[in-house]
Amino acid sequence: MTEVAAGADLLERDDARARLDADLEHARLGVGRVVLVGGEAGVGKTSVVRSFTARHEQALRVVWGACEALFTPRPLGPVLDIAQRLEGFQAVAPTTDTERAGFFAAFLDELRSHPTIAVFEDVHWADEATLDALKYLGRRIDDVPAMLVLTFRDDEVGSNHPLRQVLGDLPSSVTSRVTLQPLSVVAVAELARRAEKSARGIHEATGGNPFFVTEVLAGDGGDVPTTVRDAVLTRASRLSAGGRRLLDAVAVVPASVEVWLLEELAGEDFTHLAECLASGMLTPTRSGVGFRHELGRLAIEHELAPDRRILLNEKAFRALAAHAPDDLSALAHHADAAANSDAVLRFAPAAARRASDVGAHREAAEHYARALSYHAAEDAARLSLLEGYALEIGLTGRYAEALEVRRAAIALARDLGDRLRLGENLARLPLAMISLGLNDDAEKASRESVEILEQLPPGRELAYAYSAQGTLRMLSRDNAEGVRWGKRALDLAVQVGDADIEALALNTIGTSYVMAGEIEVGGGYLERSLDVATEHDLHQRVASAYSMLASGLGEMYELEESQRWAGEFVAFATRHDLDTAYIRSWLAATHVYLGRWDEGAALAQELLADEISAISRITALIALGRVRMRRGDPGSADVLDEALDAALAGGHLQRLGHLRAARAEAAWLAGDPTRAVAEACAVYELALEKRHLWFAGELAYWQWKAGALDMAPDWIAEPYARQIAGDARGAAEAWASRGCVYEAARALSESGDEALLREALTGLERLGAQPLARSVRQSLRTLGASVPRGPRASTRENPAALTAREFGVLELVAQGLRNAEIADRLVLSRRTVDHHVSAILRKLDARTRGEAVATATHLGILEDR
Amino acid sequence: MDTYVILRRSGWKDAAELGEAAERSSAEGERMSDDVAWIRSYVLEERDGRVGTVCVYQATSPEAIRRHAGEAMLPVDEIIKVTQTVFVRPDPVPATA
Repeated sequence: MTEVAAGADLLERDDARARLDADLEHARLGVGRVVLVGGEAGVGKTSVVRSFTARHEQALRVVWGACEALFTPRPLGPVLDIAQRLEGFQAVAPTTDTERAGFFAAFLDELRSHPTIAVFEDVHWADEATLDALKYLGRRIDDVPAMLVLTFRDDEVGSNHPLRQVLGDLPSSVTSRVTLQPLSVVAVAELARRAEKSARGIHEATGGNPFFVTEVLAGDGGDVPTTVRDAVLTRASRLSAGGRRLLDAVAVVPASVEVWLLEELAGEDFTHLAECLASGMLTPTRSGVGFRHELGRLAIEHELAPDRRILLNEKAFRALAAHAPDDLSALAHHADAAANSDAVLRFAPAAARRASDVGAHREAAEHYARALSYHAAEDAARLSLLEGYALEIGLTGRYAEALEVRRAAIALARDLGDRLRLGENLARLPLAMISLGLNDDAEKASRESVEILEQLPPGRELAYAYSAQGTLRMLSRDNAEGVRWGKRALDLAVQVGDADIEALALNTIGTSYVMAGEIEVGGGYLERSLDVATEHDLHQRVASAYSMLASGLGEMYELEESQRWAGEFVAFATRHDLDTAYIRSWLAATHVYLGRWDEGAALAQELLADEISAISRITALIALGRVRMRRGDPGSADVLDEALDAALAGGHLQRLGHLRAARAEAAWLAGDPTRAVAEACAVYELALEKRHLWFAGELAYWQWKAGALDMAPDWIAEPYARQIAGDARGAAEAWASRGCVYEAARALSESGDEALLREALTGLERLGAQPLARSVRQSLRTLGASVPRGPRASTRENPAALTAREFGVLELVAQGLRNAEIADRLVLSRRTVDHHVSAILRKLDARTRGEAVATATHLGILEDR
Repeated sequence: MDTYVILRRSGWKDAAELGEAAERSSAEGERMSDDVAWIRSYVLEERDGRVGTVCVYQATSPEAIRRHAGEAMLPVDEIIKVTQTVFVRPDPVPATA
């Protein structure tokens, strides 16, 4: 895309440039910015950015990269273009996921080394890998002396456009927006005056679109054309016949055409290049020549007669195949536009694999779809294309479509009598089906795949089928079966040397053991899974091992361990831009069970403010609900109702056990034992059937508490078993050893012993657990004991009134840690730490961190060091 | 934002101590103005000779009220959500925070 020639002094663009200048000031000071320049096609986004960068080119580095309007864009296209233009940047174009991560990091380091403006043009056309790069850079730009300028057509970016998600993910603190409006009547009149033409009717016809206005003013001065296309064609009609043909040749190559290629395409007409440049319709670009604007190219391309379009594309394809055989996206594009099916079938699958390797799965899927449209024969080659297509659209999160394609592959494999591929495709169904809630279908497909593959010589396909069956069993918490199938998968995976399936199987076995209460054995398997995945750079499997360790151990009330693994997960996932919401929702829940209610509630609310998956949402809602009910604060019922709606939609024990227990607790605290029993009974049978120690334990406990149950099975989690057996002190110790301060005090509150009740009351008052504290005071009164009034909120013995958590943060500040490091260390969000640090500064009346440490030392809050 | 009533029973020794608390509360309220807004308070003469309050706040969540109270060192006995206001006549004595 090139310049809209509205002159060096652009009209009505002062605000936009002022905004850009202001953002640049931040970037210069080392506080990086992302500026989103939006507006319709032809409104002059590039012109504004160009006139802005022109004024700063002397002072700092300016680099440009453009996304192209190929049918399917080149993976990482603009990022690689920019990388090439960064002097001294050596990184080679990545070809794998791992290389890609290293490339992004190196790119960011390069930006750190030198103040830079990096312009990414037309990101509404960006491929998935480029969008990942923008997200990666945008999230880390805040301490980099760089400004990323992204131009895009805001009217073409609907709510489902992939760019929308990326823009939403950019931290709002580093992002600003510039939206360009069409020109006013006054500005259009001024442009007409400068061109010495009449302004009559032009604003009305063009809507003030600067590109359109310029085309009209450059036209023949007859009737004002009513469409951009007419305006462009009128202008083009003034060229010689040769010039006009040259325009056609340029028009078949999106963005810009290199000179050697244009010579091949245009032949003798190439001599008319000077004429086209002089007319202003074409303009020199960084890599050759191109239309002044994509709108111009489209108008000319649209006018091409079909046979001529095919001819030019065929020429382009042949020239590229001979001279640039590596540009797979361009080859696939021209092959398709030339309707050359052999060529499409040769290059589209290759382009798909290339795109997939660097994480551009959307583009990979498009290449497969294109190849499929040229390959109607129901043969093995089509089956391969279907398999590739299913895999790639699955990776873009379009599970329902992926399932359809996979079913087509299965039907074809059946027709072809290819048992191995039939079994393999069937084995790929279950996990996709689970994510769509099709649990019964998943079971059927899994069984059939195992049955078919077991009749064939054992291989990695069967290993995968075993592991899928194991995962199904594990997810429904049939733990012994999860272990059994997982071990079959593991043996075979090791035998055939497939590390991916090995890591998957180890994960399934480990999680099944953890859920059966065999924490150490299970943890051992999960850590082995982590090792195998790390050794082979299998990012998804590494993340999955961490994730299972964090959520599985959390579900089993191994809270400190769960938090440790959650910290590892968040660090890993942040490095690799993976979603952290689910594990952070577990962090919120474990904070609550560890008695860190402020942190748990704050994190839950932070998560709930974003768009997160249903399972993350349910977990965060439960954490928030438990804090509110235990404090006696309003709003607990609201969040637990919302969680129930979401959980009933895809009801696994995993969600429902946790949630029904929380709802039973809320009912009991609200003085409604009948409802507590009803909530607990809703999933009690299921929890017993799956022998889930903690769910069965808590659900039995609430029924017992409400007087509806005398005995529970002896295998339930120890603290609940002790409570139900009447051993308040033993239960409290068991809870305390897990760090569950509230649960420990609750156990003591069930004692008839005055000393234990007083201990319970102290614990509950420290937590601010008012409903239960009230009931303990009542019990004490019934015993005839004197009841102390609750403590006041202000902690006067601590001169600065720092909370325990603030004190912990202050200690790390004193060690010289930065907020991000403190967040990592304490497994808190950056925001929470920022909040604590500012509270510390205020309470100590300090302006800097150093001053805070000095004051705290002086007050005796911190030890002298 | 929702409306909440906050009970702070017998929170202060005397009016002077309450005055200091009110200053901290205002300052903290300024800082957290996106999350809490102090509407009005009624100062209570408690049976134990101390001073308490019933406060009306608007807030984004009960947690925001607790955060505000924690930062401004105000006690909280209970937070109750207000679902409706029946306005009969203005307060007889204008509140002076």
